[in-house]
Amino acid sequence: MHALAALLRKDGRVLRNLRQTAREQSVFKVVFILMFAVGMLAGLGYLFLEGFRFLSALGGIGVMLIRHLFALFFFGLGLMMILSNIITTYTTVFHSEEIPFLLCRPIAPGEILLHKWLETTLISSWAFFFIIIPFIGAFAWHEHLSLLFMLWTFLFSIPFVLLYAGVGTLITLLVLRWAPRWRPQVWVGAALLVLIGWGIWTLVGTNNLAGANNLAGANNLAGANNLAGAGKPQTGDAAFILERFVPGLKLAACPLWPSAWVAEGIVALSRDQWLRGGLLFGVLLANVLVVGLLVEGLGNAQFVQAWQRTRASHASRRELPSSPRLRRTSRRAGLVGTMALETRLAFLAPDTRALVTKDLRTLLRDPAQWIQGLLFFGLLALYFFNLRNLHYHQLSAVWRNLIVFLNMFSLSAVMCSFCSRFIYPQLSLEGQSFWLIGLAPTTMGRVLKIKFLASLAGMLTISVGLMAVSTAMLDVGWQVWVTALGLAVAISLGFCGLATGLGAVFLDLKQRNPMAIISGFGGTLNLVLSLAYMVAAILPFGVLYHYHTLGRIGAGALRAGMVSASAWLIVITLAVTLLPLVAGRRSLMRRDY
Amino acid sequence: MIEIEHLTKNFGNLLAVKDLSLTIPRGELFCFLGPNGAGKTTTIKILCGLLKPSGGTIRIQGIDLQADPAAVRRLIGYIPDTPFLYERLTPVEFFQFIGDLYQVPAARVQATRERFFALFAMDEYARTLIKDLSHGYRQRLIYAATFLHQPEVLFIDEPFVGLDPFSIRLIHDLLRQAARAGTTIFLTTHILAFAEQLADRIGIIAGGRLVGLGTLAELKARSSMQGPLEDIFLRLTRPEEA
Repeated sequence: MHALAALLRKDGRVLRNLRQTAREQSVFKVVFILMFAVGMLAGLGYLFLEGFRFLSALGGIGVMLIRHLFALFFFGLGLMMILSNIITTYTTVFHSEEIPFLLCRPIAPGEILLHKWLETTLISSWAFFFIIIPFIGAFAWHEHLSLLFMLWTFLFSIPFVLLYAGVGTLITLLVLRWAPRWRPQVWVGAALLVLIGWGIWTLVGTNNLAGANNLAGANNLAGANNLAGAGKPQTGDAAFILERFVPGLKLAACPLWPSAWVAEGIVALSRDQWLRGGLLFGVLLANVLVVGLLVEGLGNAQFVQAWQRTRASHASRRELPSSPRLRRTSRRAGLVGTMALETRLAFLAPDTRALVTKDLRTLLRDPAQWIQGLLFFGLLALYFFNLRNLHYHQLSAVWRNLIVFLNMFSLSAVMCSFCSRFIYPQLSLEGQSFWLIGLAPTTMGRVLKIKFLASLAGMLTISVGLMAVSTAMLDVGWQVWVTALGLAVAISLGFCGLATGLGAVFLDLKQRNPMAIISGFGGTLNLVLSLAYMVAAILPFGVLYHYHTLGRIGAGALRAGMVSASAWLIVITLAVTLLPLVAGRRSLMRRDY
Repeated sequence: MIEIEHLTKNFGNLLAVKDLSLTIPRGELFCFLGPNGAGKTTTIKILCGLLKPSGGTIRIQGIDLQADPAAVRRLIGYIPDTPFLYERLTPVEFFQFIGDLYQVPAARVQATRERFFALFAMDEYARTLIKDLSHGYRQRLIYAATFLHQPEVLFIDEPFVGLDPFSIRLIHDLLRQAARAGTTIFLTTHILAFAEQLADRIGIIAGGRLVGLGTLAELKARSSMQGPLEDIFLRLTRPEEA
């Protein structure tokens, strides 16, 4: 284990140097990031607290849900942790330049994988603490639990993230070692088919359960509690929606899941049941150690082969032009592999076409990049397409409108992360080949415009398409339809303008690692401004419709409010689109290359 | 000592190395030449254990690489054309890290570091983050760190890329000195003049096959050419144009 110790000591030195670098940062930057973090934690905490109050107010199933929410929360978090770690392991282990460096040293492969397991746990879990802390805080506040509850949660969270991240690491290792060598497109297609199949199976199961046992009960509950009023929110509706969680609750509370041990262990310790809490913590810890042993053992036996297999699959694509296989693939390459893309984009000016095709090919030929986007937008699409199967279109108008705006929020949040991850660093990632663009017979302003319009075209297709599906499935009125699609257009404009413009202002041509570009000051500023813009754009419309359907404002006030909200949306969208683009253009013109 | 017998490597339909057999004795400085895509880097990566051969055997200092890769890794040093370095460490910390990995005693780490930093004029940058070092200093650091555990066999891919004349001279002398001290050196380069000056023996690979092997004089004799190595190289690798 001396090598693992050496690697951990090296990590310690890197952390010390990072702390030193952080001290050299401007006070403004540090304060800005801290304020953002605190603001985000407080905002999330408030939202969770309101959610708990809402559930409490419902009584019945709401209270039951709160009781089981803890298990459901950790169950969902565990699944997300596995997924997140699979992506992180694939990109930071199997595509890292550090691995060949380490493989030439006297280090057992199992120790390399153990170290990478710890590293990927840290990378893929820190964001989860931004969800765990406000959720637990809100839960403790709502349930009047002591501060020790937070401490126990923190204590259980560490083995919890290690365990699930370890599962993600093992899945990645086994898949890369033994999975058939299909093209990434085939993998994505297969994954989507599995997802759709799983979705259908879950829905059928849910519908049967709901149909057999719960729908009538929910309607009875609605009848009993309904305060009537066509547009008013009905507790029956809430119960109807919450009933959909029942199978999930049963699954999450299964005592075989480590997430259930975490949930139960924290509650046990909070109630001074030391023996039970300690036992569950011990069980969790033992499982972490088993995962650690598996990571080391399988790492020793299979890591080098898995890594060599990924390397070999890259190298095998470098075939001679005369190879019959390459000729076949070239014929099949279709959209990106041949001149087909240029032909299809023949209507564009040559310089625009050159930049767009280059960016498209670069993105499409790096599956690790686009799979992340496809996964999140694909899951949203799957959910939107199944809104009718969930019978949400039968809910009252207030709930359907609320769901439309919640969908808009979800879509915008994914778009926000997508733009921060892919659009913001695109200029910086031109890197050492930026001089090619600098010397080309075009202007920097034009380059920026092309980048902006190309990303906008992609974002508009996704956002407008998904919102059109969401509104159609929920069968909403034309006003909500227009508002939702208008918001999708505006938010696409705003996000692309901010990401492209700020990407040009904070251009970093030395950095090759996209994560380092994104986590810099410019990337953080882009993320914060995008989130703030998202809330500022959607909230006024959501509040207006909500109050109208609650009966708090009349049709006249709604119309006036809509005009004001639309004017507000236009002003802020123009501001966040044009101002960064103008600043970015100026910054690009002033630079030396 | 490096012993390669019938080494073959294919990537799908692409045969990168074809039936390569070669023995490089202790203390020899062997230059492996070839045009782009000839299989030089693939061969070096196989010899370091980074790629698995499709066929054949490799022995380093008598140890079978496939049977005991861990033992081989303790004996070798590898410097790729674009070496990986931890950007957020300083050269001193990087040295400590390499020392930890190879379990080199702290006193020897310090002594070697002082000797190499003085030799490479690196003292001024000893506590600068590696990310802020120029390409030349990064190369000097990787050479210094590679010699820390006193490897018996050294693999170097393109040792002179992007270096100034001073650094080239330093590395040139360092390699000759190491070979004299008994280190076996296997290096690839495109700079034929250096191969002429440095190499004890030269191997030329083209299309994955070894097309020439011997001292400069032997290669000249076999190809019946008396001109520079460049002419022999072109005759062997592109016979239709030579």
